[in-house]
Amino acid sequence: MNKIVAMAAKDIHILFRDKLGFFFTVFFPLMMAIFFGAMFAGLSRGPANIPIALVDQDRTSASERFIERLGQASGLAVEQIPREEALEQVRRGRTAVLVTLTPGFGAALDNPFVTTPEVEMTVDPTQFAVAGMVRGVLLEAAGAELQDLMSDPARLGAANSQNSLFFESLPPSSARDDMLTFLDLSPRVSSLIDEMGLGAATGGNQGFFGPPLEIEQTEVQAERPGPTNSYATSFAQAMLWTLIGGSVSFSMSIAIERSRGTLMRLLVAPVTARHLLAAKGLACLGATLFTSSALITLGITVFDVRPTSYPLLVLALLCGSICFCGIMMALSVIGGTEQAAAGIGWGLSLPLSMLGGGMVPLFLMPEWMQRLANISPMKWTLMAYEGAIWRGFTLNEMLLPCAVLVAIGVIAFTLGARRLRWDTG
Amino acid sequence: MLVFDHVSKSFGDLRAVDDLSFEVEAGEVFGLLGPNGAGKTTAINMAVGLLEPDEGVVRFADEAFDRNPRDAENRRSLGLAPQSIALYEQIGGADNLRFFGRLHGLRGSDLEERVVACLDFADLTDVEKKVVSKYSGGMKRRLNLAVAIIHDPELVLLDEPTVGVDPQSRNAIFERVEQLRDAGKQVVYTTHYMEEAQRLCDRVAIIDRGRLMALDTVPALIGAHGGPGNLVVRTGEGESRHETTDPLGTLAELQARQAVDHFQYLPPDLETVFLNLTGRALRD
Ligand SMILES: Nc1ncnc2c1ncn2[C@@H]1O[C@H](COP(=O)(O)OP(=O)(O)OP(=O)(O)O)[C@@H](O)[C@H]1O
Ligand SMILES: [Mg+2]
Repeated sequence: MNKIVAMAAKDIHILFRDKLGFFFTVFFPLMMAIFFGAMFAGLSRGPANIPIALVDQDRTSASERFIERLGQASGLAVEQIPREEALEQVRRGRTAVLVTLTPGFGAALDNPFVTTPEVEMTVDPTQFAVAGMVRGVLLEAAGAELQDLMSDPARLGAANSQNSLFFESLPPSSARDDMLTFLDLSPRVSSLIDEMGLGAATGGNQGFFGPPLEIEQTEVQAERPGPTNSYATSFAQAMLWTLIGGSVSFSMSIAIERSRGTLMRLLVAPVTARHLLAAKGLACLGATLFTSSALITLGITVFDVRPTSYPLLVLALLCGSICFCGIMMALSVIGGTEQAAAGIGWGLSLPLSMLGGGMVPLFLMPEWMQRLANISPMKWTLMAYEGAIWRGFTLNEMLLPCAVLVAIGVIAFTLGARRLRWDTG
Repeated sequence: MLVFDHVSKSFGDLRAVDDLSFEVEAGEVFGLLGPNGAGKTTAINMAVGLLEPDEGVVRFADEAFDRNPRDAENRRSLGLAPQSIALYEQIGGADNLRFFGRLHGLRGSDLEERVVACLDFADLTDVEKKVVSKYSGGMKRRLNLAVAIIHDPELVLLDEPTVGVDPQSRNAIFERVEQLRDAGKQVVYTTHYMEEAQRLCDRVAIIDRGRLMALDTVPALIGAHGGPGNLVVRTGEGESRHETTDPLGTLAELQARQAVDHFQYLPPDLETVFLNLTGRALRD
């Protein structure tokens, strides 16, 4: 063990002495974190469409019609999910608003004269601006519904005959009779207006009926708000880049040991190939863990990044480093010389990082690319880092990316270690 | 004791080492003398277990043990200074020594003692902290040698340790090698400089194209294969050269004929031994 540690310590020592290695593992990722963090902090953030969660407990054709209308409204991205999940999302700050259509909503929408349709809105109070906007869109949609109803004599007639039956069942009075006369006439309101030549000038009829929708709002305090700032994203990316820089540098180090002849000395010393592999792995793990931890520590202390879970952050750091140490071993086999190792390392890392969201965030990519991104270890690394830094993953949610990372790491390390050339020439 | 027992090694069609046998004793500097491509480095690589012989065996044997050079145990007792400098250039000289010492299981004060001793041995104490990439060629050579002995091995293999070194540093290295011999180590020293072999080595194996041409002490080799020496005399008629095994007798003879103003005797050396054995000069 002492020998393995000695070899690993030597490798780390050399990595930080090596200007190019230092550049790619420390300086470049740090510059990226600061540059992109500052750049996106300057731009107005927030996607054009506000994501809202919607739960349809009514499940009638009317409620479905309403949902469709919301979906078409500009400014909202409606996602229908189970209520429990939706509440959880609001609590985590991943969705600002949850809209629930309670049973009876559809009936009220089709016949708003007796009961005003009602929706429940659950909002994170810090997102009041978003909530206000969603409120506006909901009212607009309900208003449009009402307008449709009023201009459709068949639907209006259906609603009125339903209401007539109700009024007829009441004890006779002059008020009741007036009401029935009104209901009788009301489907003809729009045609009467047309007959008088007023047309669209009245701007619709909802003025008769008060607000078209009642919104009952409750607040749910989000436990974890979204990314505290743009540095939360850029530091996660920087941590990915330090892993890439470290793994490429270490993959070169075996080739360098061969070309400088020190591999010969190592092989002549009383250490086994297993020791050497373990030392390379340990050095890579130690160095990347150190640099990625240092980066996020800097992010936390200087750039106000607030990880949502420190234990999960530690887990993510560890799994990311394990993955890239495996990749390092595989790279050092593919590239026999230091130039080849560097060339292949960067040649593979750059496209895979781009694909995995290391440069442009994944959600900006088309669907098929996002699916293709699953083959990129960089995607899983970012997912784990971001999960702990700002996405507020639970341990369960963290298990998938971490398992993928460890699996990639172990497989790549084993394949690499098996095929490594131990000759000195 | 390092033993080569009818060892051969080929690379493709090329027989780099061909049926080589010898034994190295404690307290001797054993020379492998041969021109470029003779197979010296190949032999060294087999001695340290980096290469496996195709035929024959390499052993590291004693009354107590008989080991294959590939045994990890064996590696504690051998130290190699490779022909091309093999050091970590980005770190200091002392750190190089410390690292390889640790690899050989040294630690704590034992390690530090050895580091100090080896820095002193290589005359690098003043520059122990300086990174190796800033060392001169001679300093690197000396460190390359010092790293080979950090763990105080029984057998030290030096593969052309004076390549690219100025005469002063070269003398320093000779002294170090003699120190090792005096400390009772077995030293294997490869070179293509016959002066080095002649000055340093107790016994010399002359190899050419992988084959052992002769193996003995330097005087014995010269006695057996050196042939006559040359007596160079200058008289009033000019300079003349006379092959002779009895320079005094020849000189007396010449002086009887005419007055000799000046004379010089050139005894046979390893160069002539090599020439006589192979029909070719050692240096081309
Ligand atoms: N790995 C190898 N593959 C193929 N041929 C090799 C290999 N190593 C050595 N040789 C060949 O074997 C022969 C002996 O080489 P070796 O390096 O042992 O010579 P040497 O005596 O050390 O020479 P020098 O004084 O130049 O160092 C040479 O012809 C060389 O080209
Ligand atoms: Mg050689």
